Amino acid sequence: MKFLLKQLEEGRKPFMPGGKLERLHPLYEANDTFLFTPSEVTHGAPHVRDAIDIKRTMIMVVLALIPAVLFGIWNAGYQFNMVNQTGDTGMIANLIQGAMIVMPIILVSYLVGGLWEVAFAIVRKHPINEGFLVTGLLFPLTLPPTVPLWQVAVGISFGVVIGKEVFGGTGFNVLNPALTARAFLFFAYPINLSGDQVWTKVDSAMNSIQGFTGATPLAIAAQVPAGGDVLAALHQADYAGFDWMRMFFGTIGGSIGETSALACLIGAVILILSGVGSWRIMAGSVLGLFAAATLLNLLPGEHFKAFTQLPFHYHMVMGSFAFGTVFMATDPVSSAASTAGKWIYGFLIGVLIVIIRVANPAYPEGVMLAILFMNVMAPLIDHIVVQSHIRQRKNYLRKFSYAKG
Amino acid sequence: MASYTIKKGLNLKLTGAPDVSIRELPASPQRVLHPAQDYPNLKLRPKVKEGDQVKRGTPLFFDKKNPAFQICAPAAGTVSAIEFGPRRVFAKVVIDVAGQDDCEAVAPLSEQAVLGTDRDTIVHQLQQFGFSSLIRTRPFDRTMNPDQPPKSIFVNAMATAPFQPDLAVVLPGQESAFRTGLAVLSRLTEGKVHLCLDGNKTNGPELTGAPHVEIHSFKGPHPAGNTSVHIHTIDPISPGDVVWAVQALDVIRIGTLFETGKYPAQRIISLAGPGLKENARAHYKVQEGSSLAPVLAEQKAFDEVRCVAGTAFFGPKVSTDSPVRFHGHGITVLEEDRSRLFLGWLLPGLKRYSLSRAYASTWLKPKKTWTLGTSQNGELRPMVLTGLYDKYMPINLMVDFLVRAVLAKDSSEAIQLGILETVPEDFAVAAFACPSKMDLCGIIQKGLDQIEQEGI
Repeated sequence: MKFLLKQLEEGRKPFMPGGKLERLHPLYEANDTFLFTPSEVTHGAPHVRDAIDIKRTMIMVVLALIPAVLFGIWNAGYQFNMVNQTGDTGMIANLIQGAMIVMPIILVSYLVGGLWEVAFAIVRKHPINEGFLVTGLLFPLTLPPTVPLWQVAVGISFGVVIGKEVFGGTGFNVLNPALTARAFLFFAYPINLSGDQVWTKVDSAMNSIQGFTGATPLAIAAQVPAGGDVLAALHQADYAGFDWMRMFFGTIGGSIGETSALACLIGAVILILSGVGSWRIMAGSVLGLFAAATLLNLLPGEHFKAFTQLPFHYHMVMGSFAFGTVFMATDPVSSAASTAGKWIYGFLIGVLIVIIRVANPAYPEGVMLAILFMNVMAPLIDHIVVQSHIRQRKNYLRKFSYAKG
Repeated sequence: MASYTIKKGLNLKLTGAPDVSIRELPASPQRVLHPAQDYPNLKLRPKVKEGDQVKRGTPLFFDKKNPAFQICAPAAGTVSAIEFGPRRVFAKVVIDVAGQDDCEAVAPLSEQAVLGTDRDTIVHQLQQFGFSSLIRTRPFDRTMNPDQPPKSIFVNAMATAPFQPDLAVVLPGQESAFRTGLAVLSRLTEGKVHLCLDGNKTNGPELTGAPHVEIHSFKGPHPAGNTSVHIHTIDPISPGDVVWAVQALDVIRIGTLFETGKYPAQRIISLAGPGLKENARAHYKVQEGSSLAPVLAEQKAFDEVRCVAGTAFFGPKVSTDSPVRFHGHGITVLEEDRSRLFLGWLLPGLKRYSLSRAYASTWLKPKKTWTLGTSQNGELRPMVLTGLYDKYMPINLMVDFLVRAVLAKDSSEAIQLGILETVPEDFAVAAFACPSKMDLCGIIQKGLDQIEQEGI
């Protein structure tokens, strides 16, 4: 270790002010602090500091994403092998097949997004921000496994540049960059990002399994006419039927990281235990979903779409509710910052998700749009919370001046 | 006696607490003052020149704006050097101690006599010896201005930050001076004098039965012992209000000044912290201006240490040969820790202290007492996590939004959000916990400076 440290110190010179490679200092610095914690000491009060830094914080998010990544890889392979009846659905075969589908998407996202990140760091002369480690992984997990790689590159470029850097970089963005990238692709290339044919890779040379249509649970639920039985329709769909347990574990087609509510739940536990993710936002979102779904259940089913009768716990495991709530809504930069605001923000996301899912004829899924919409509303929520805090402070102070007469 | 329980905050479990013994530190033959460093907001004018003979209590400087305020010699002898710093500020004054410790004397006043003395006389005596600067005004934490009388005065007998002298160690033998000091304070305001005691430990009758004051007790983790918390709970500052704040240890000094009629240069301070050898961490009886090098330089536990005039959380850096300053009561010594850990962002981190629960130490060693150095443990980043600061702020503030208002230079919003109730020190725990390594104390200081310039 000492040898490595010495090498690093010696290699520093050309990157320092006045050196030949001065402009590339952010690159050197990123590599240097990747290997060893920085030697920087506190400049003033407080003279001691907690061991936590943003690197560690972001790594905790990446760690929380690992279950979703691993499951996503396995599931992409499993769906491919099942649907195409390759005959080999063993663990290893699924992982290898899945890795061949998913890894290129993740690599392109990290590579292209990373280039933008470095380019902006060099031009702006600020250190490379660790937040990209999260954005670069979140984004591919929201994509269908069949997405063309060039679209991944275009999407992450849009997310990093327009979603984040034009606002001033990490910490200053209004929208969640990964979700911005996803929304851009969704509206720019709807054929590749929505419909029934994108969620599982189908090999035309092979025979598809019987019953496979590619439709997601949300798409099926939306098509059940008024008076129909939405649960029965779900249970009969697909080659194995969409029952609650299957959707909870996530062995269904869908975006790479979103299908398993279980993997997202593990991620949620890691985020909450490590204190990185806001449990208030997650809880608020679940509450909002519960409230909206239960209210819709009270509508007379024979006059409205059968989708209104879907129980809330089905809403929770369908689509990307779990993934969006745990990893996207909790992005601290684009969510509400005040404690009360976090509850409101989460609650409204939950409500909006159900409304968009059930009432909107165009998009079967509402998570992405609900979160983006609430990202925009977050400053307004905070403003209202702060104004009420100011009023409450004034009353507190006034109480003491009255007591004195 | 009213009791209050504070929930938010942090009791930093830091090694290096001072021993309860009081040791005598031999006085050095020279006494040194750093006027410009100790009084950065004053325009000082000299009253002596090099070679002049002075007594203990002889004025050396006065404030140009308020000539009644003087800075005095802490010992009798000869002014051997006056050194200037940039822009001709008075950087350093050296007095060679000589003679029989002659004193400038005024009439001694007992506790009862103080109560019968008029306010102007008391103010004059405080200013004459520079002791009025021990009484701080809120907002802005400046030397008290007698022309702006406070609505109340807060005496802080509770030190929750590591490490401050233990009042139970310092007070015995000086009870009468303490009472006289409280009497002095009671003559300075029409309002009440509040004495805030540490409810985390048992206090002796000299505190619980202290005269001339209303007594309160605060329980809870740091910053429960910060005066801002006491003021916020008992008599909060609205824009336009003035409140004065004094440390109980300084009340003893003020009392001694009035009881003896002479400038008290001797006092008890604590020298502590993990950067000092274990047997050197103690309370010391010292002379103001005398060098602390025999302890700080010779008893340091690491090659490179940082001495802080104050606590690990707050206070200016001083050198290892620093003299005993007029303000403050303790020096905390920390290791200047520039070590680098391999893959620190990835490894479990059993040996790294964190409140964040992102390191294994939080889970496996929750009760450990830590030896912390000055490593920043990361680099400055934009604010990312929100709502974290509020966990360590017992005052009703929304810290994230207050900091943002200050950064946006929005003074009126900062005032509405309560900046006037605070001093930078109150944000030290939040800054300690901040993963973005924000300089919260510095930001708040800038905000207060801006508001003071603009006027409320």
